[in-house]
Order: sequence, then structure tokens, then C-alpha cells
Amino acid sequence: MKVFNWTRRFSRRGFLARGAATVAAVAATSGKVLADAQDARTVGPGALKPEQARTLVVFTRDLFPHDQLDDSFYQRAVKPLEDEAAQDGSTKQILALGVAWLDAKAVSVAGRPYAQVGEESKRVAVVTRLKQDPSAPRAFFDKVYSTTIVSLYNQPELWPKFGYEGPSSAKGGYLSRGFNDLNWL
Amino acid sequence: MPAKFDRNDSSVVVIIGSGAGGGTLANELTQKGISSVVLEAGKRIEITDFQNDEDAMFALFTWLDPRTASGSWYVAQTSPDLPAWISKLVGGTTVHWGACALRFQEHEFKTGTRYGAISGANLLDWPLGLKDMEPYYDRAELKMGVTGTHGIPRLPVSNHGKVLFAGAKKMGYTQFLTTNMAINSVPRDGRASCQQTGFCIQGCTFGAKWSTLYTEIPRAEATGKTEIRSESQVLHIEQDQSGKVTGVVYADPTGAIERQKARIVCVAGNAIETPRLLLNSSSNVFPQGLANSSGQVGRNYMKHMTSTVFAVFDKPVHMYRGTAQSGIVMDEARLDTQRGFVGGYQMELLPQGLPSFAQNIVPNAWGRDRAWIVDNYVNVAGVWLIGEDLARETNRVTLHPDRKDKYGLPIPDIHVDDHPNDLAMQKHAIGQADALYKSIGAKRTVHRLPFPSTHNMGTCRMSENPRDGVVNRWGQSHDVKNLFVSDGSQFTSSGGENPTLTIVALAIRQAEYIAEQMSHAAI
Repeated sequence: MKVFNWTRRFSRRGFLARGAATVAAVAATSGKVLADAQDARTVGPGALKPEQARTLVVFTRDLFPHDQLDDSFYQRAVKPLEDEAAQDGSTKQILALGVAWLDAKAVSVAGRPYAQVGEESKRVAVVTRLKQDPSAPRAFFDKVYSTTIVSLYNQPELWPKFGYEGPSSAKGGYLSRGFNDLNWL
Repeated sequence: MPAKFDRNDSSVVVIIGSGAGGGTLANELTQKGISSVVLEAGKRIEITDFQNDEDAMFALFTWLDPRTASGSWYVAQTSPDLPAWISKLVGGTTVHWGACALRFQEHEFKTGTRYGAISGANLLDWPLGLKDMEPYYDRAELKMGVTGTHGIPRLPVSNHGKVLFAGAKKMGYTQFLTTNMAINSVPRDGRASCQQTGFCIQGCTFGAKWSTLYTEIPRAEATGKTEIRSESQVLHIEQDQSGKVTGVVYADPTGAIERQKARIVCVAGNAIETPRLLLNSSSNVFPQGLANSSGQVGRNYMKHMTSTVFAVFDKPVHMYRGTAQSGIVMDEARLDTQRGFVGGYQMELLPQGLPSFAQNIVPNAWGRDRAWIVDNYVNVAGVWLIGEDLARETNRVTLHPDRKDKYGLPIPDIHVDDHPNDLAMQKHAIGQADALYKSIGAKRTVHRLPFPSTHNMGTCRMSENPRDGVVNRWGQSHDVKNLFVSDGSQFTSSGGENPTLTIVALAIRQAEYIAEQMSHAAI
């Protein structure tokens, strides 16, 4: 699935500069988070840990929260990130550091890692800080946002849930399938 | 069958680009017996390659070579590496265009005198007027099969159009109808009629929409006098010591550097690549860039005032069904400075499929509010506001000081600072569109500020006086008699109308001039 998002922006250099400070801040908060942060510093591609992938799923749902979509849509949306991390160490590091940051902030706000915070409003508060805090790993937000906004909404199985009928040429277009059937005006 | 010309054949006209300007020019010349080689940077695909898939088609034929944007305009913030949404393939942006085929209004050719002195703008009259253009507009409309002209029936009104027109009526507007469209409403010219697929922008799978890809270009080839070389990017235009152009240097599909000699060179690479190529073709005769003694090459870049207003209703609209842009309100296109700005704007349908709507509706936003808008997709209608953008010398295409493309040439930077007139018009247009939709019960409207620019104009503008512009009333360089500009770069003003019909009309007109000049060896 290839891609278009006019608003994509991505600054790896900015991420690396902020990353070191983030790791130090995160390390101060909790043992689990410390382990995540240490893991994040490990260079090299590879599979994300299941709990990291789970956090990405919850985070993606918080970015694009559609109650009518079950988790499988968000799992498929996150898949390109997992695939990229498996191939590219820098992507893996961005994701691992970001997850560690989310977890650290969630621990301080709600006493537990991000994906285990039940109240949406508390997770939203963490994401708000991720967008606003100058020391937050902004590249993580950008990476997940710009990837999943494409990979979520490009799933044809999702379209009917939003009333979108998708490709029409093979069915002869909409000429005799309702292009002018509106009658409520 | 397609011709095959020797690279040392210096009798040919070389045309750079195969879109509305270049593709039309090639066919018009060739029908007069003039041989041409068309060098097109993009690849050649066919109608059968088109899919009803927004992202796949975007990836397949958008011009994605590196570019940068600078200045205060919204696009520089939201889309800094893709300031323009245009196409790179045989047929150019006529594969992608929405097919609104509108004539400019008389006063739009005369903005220098009609609008008066406006601070911070670089207005100038075109060295021609509507009267000069009318016969060529006629021929362009007949060539393209424009609905609503010359007895060609209009397209039917879609759901999306019904919503727009109901609001227009409530607003007291009177000029609303299905637009003059270069899309067959009935089978015509060997092409099918519109099947209301809704995927005009992704390439018309039925070929109902006019595109040079499957009209002008195969016709030119059928004469045996035109050769299309695709995946052939021109890097440099060559000149002799007298300043005449002698040919072009280009990269062939393998990346090998080739040279094609030419009697005449016509540049139609869209208003970003055209000035870039001239600027990249400096010489000791033209140290500031080819044909740039005026210093105006790359300046006066215009992209139209645009914005989109989406409205959420409580009942279904299904805006994606049907001809994408076939619906217009023209009441605001007039010149009426009482509104606080010069120039006018059109209100045109512009639906989006679910993926692109969801991806682009509110840039960089996240969370429940954004998701609510997407949840209501089926109940959404949207109108695109497109109006005149004023020429400014400082809005310009320049060569990037550091960044190079894969051939080692500087990439273009597109710098725009919005003129206050542009912002005043934008505010008015958004306000009117809001009121229009709310008058018929919209629950909420969402304002989407400009997308990357598909209308790009003005960077090699026409002028009476060589000091003020780059080309004359025929698109011929003031400096170099056998060099022509054949695309929207020629526009002296942007008008409030989609540019393609005017580009095609100018190409027909230019072909006549070139043939006439060649016939008595003036060039």
C-alpha cells in the first residue's frame, strides 16, 4: 500500500537530538519504563515486542477513534510500522522510544503503562503532551500518524462502515446506481 | 504510425511536455505538416492502467520529484515538499484534471488597467484580449467536446450538485448549473460518454474525459510526423553564440544523456518546470537564465486563491458518486470591489473519496472531533473555492541553493507570500460557502485551506514590452525568436477560472503562428 499524505512531515535529525534527553527523563520514572528505554537504545532492526505493538494499536485508536471499528482495523493499520521496524533499525528505535515515552507519561498520570490505562481521557492527556511538550519525541507522533492515517483508511473492508462504496468502474460507474438519487432537499 | 527522428535532425520542433499545452501543440503542428519530437519526463501508460484507487493513482502519476516550498502560504506549512499536485506522465496533468473548461472573462485579460495600482502586486495587461481569444476558445471547446458549448448537452446533476444548487438558490444566486466540462455527455469523437464513476481525478477509465494522452497524442502520431519520447527529462536547452536555441540535452529512460537538435523549441513543462529549465539553461549569452533578460523568468508565480468548505448534513449525500467537478456557482466570479477585493472566484464541486477525505480533512489533527467528521463522511458535501491570485514579483520559482535532483541540477523552490487581496477573497469565499450550506441545514462546516496547487501559472508571462515579461502575445520569447513557452507559464494574470481551456486555446493559436512564421522562414 503506497501512500499519500500531503501533510506528512518527518525530521529524523530532530528526533535523535531530543531522544537522548527523553531517555534520561524516562529512566527516572519506573523500572518497566527503564527497561523499555534501554531496549529503545539498542540499535538494529527487529520485531517489536507484543506489548509495544499493543501500545501502538491503542495509540492509533486514540489518534483516529472510531467506535464502529474493532481492533483488527487498527492492528492492520499498525502492521506497516511493524514491518518497517523489522527492516529498519532507526524506525524500530523511533517506535520503541515513543512507546517508552507514552508509558512513562501514562505511569505519571495514571499509574500504569499507556495501553493499560482504561480511561480514554487520561490517554488523550498523554497524547496532548506528546504533541505539545517540546522535549517529547515528536518524530514518533509524526511517524505513527503519517503511516496509520493512510494504512487505516485505505482498508477496503473499512469503507462500507463509512458509507463509501469505493471503485465503481467495474460496476459501470454510478450512472444507474444512485448518482442522482438524493431526494431529501 | 509514430515517427522516428534522428537526433541530429535539426528541422524538427522539439516540444517539452505532453500535457494540455505540449500535447495540443504537437497535434496542431503535425496536422499542418510540421514535424515534432515531444520529450516527456514521465512514463507512458494507457487507460487500462487507470484504477479507481486514489492513493495508487496518486503514487502512479504524480510529479513527486523533490521540490521545496517557502514563504507565508499555508501550503509551505502543510505540504512543504509537495507544493504542487500535478502529473508526470504522457498526457501530463490532463490525465488528472477535473475537466472544468471555463473561458476567462474580458476584464481578467486586462488586470493592469482594470484593477489599477495595487500595492505589492505586479499586475499587467495581457498583450491580447478576449476578442483575440474567442475563435481559439471555440476551437478548443470543439476539440475537447466541452459540454454547454456549441450545442453539446450538459452533464446531468449529481446528488452533490443538487446540494450545492439548493444552497445557491437559497442564497439568491442565479448562475449555477453543471459546469462546462471537457467530459463527454454523449458519445463523441470516438470516446464514450460519462458513466458517473466519480474517479475523474484518478484518470477516466472510460476515456470520457478529454486528455491529450488518448486524443491529441495518438492523433499526432498517426500522421507519421510526431515522435513521443517518454521518460525523457530535458535538462538543458542549448544555444549558439547568436542566442538562438539549437537543441536540447535530455536524460533518456536509462539515464543516458542524449542531445536532440531542433529548429524550434517549445517549453510546456508546467509553470514550475518550465522556468526551472530556463534558469538551468544559462549561458554566456544569457547569464541569468535562458530568455531572461527581463529578469522575470520564474517570477509572478500564481496558483489561484483556493480553499474548500465541507458541510456535514444529517442525511446522505454520497458526494463520491458521479462526475467529480460537474457543478458550479458563478455568481461570485464577477469583478466587484465592493466585496473588498479585486477579481472573483468560482464555487466548484470537489468531492473526495473516503481515504483522501479522511487523510486530508484537517491536517495534523487527531482525536474525537476529527473522527466525528470522518464518521459522517456519507453526509458530507464539499465545494472548492477557486479565484484570482494576483501576480507578485516575489512569488517565484527559484533554483534551490543547495539541493540537487538525481541529475545534479538544482531543484525548484516555490516561494509564495499571500497577497492581502488573496486572503480577503479567501475569507469572503469561505464565508459565502458557509452561508450557502447552512442555508439548507448543514449541521457544521469544516474549512480546508489550500491543497497543493494544481493550477500553476505566470512564471514566464506574456507582455507587450519585453521589459515586463518573458514572451510575446504568441508565447514567443522576447529574447530568442525560436523559443516558445506553450503552457500556463505564459499567463499574465491567473483569472478566476481553471486554466486548462485557456492553455489549449493558446496552444492552438501558437501553432498557427509557428506555422505561419516557418512558412516564410522567419524562424
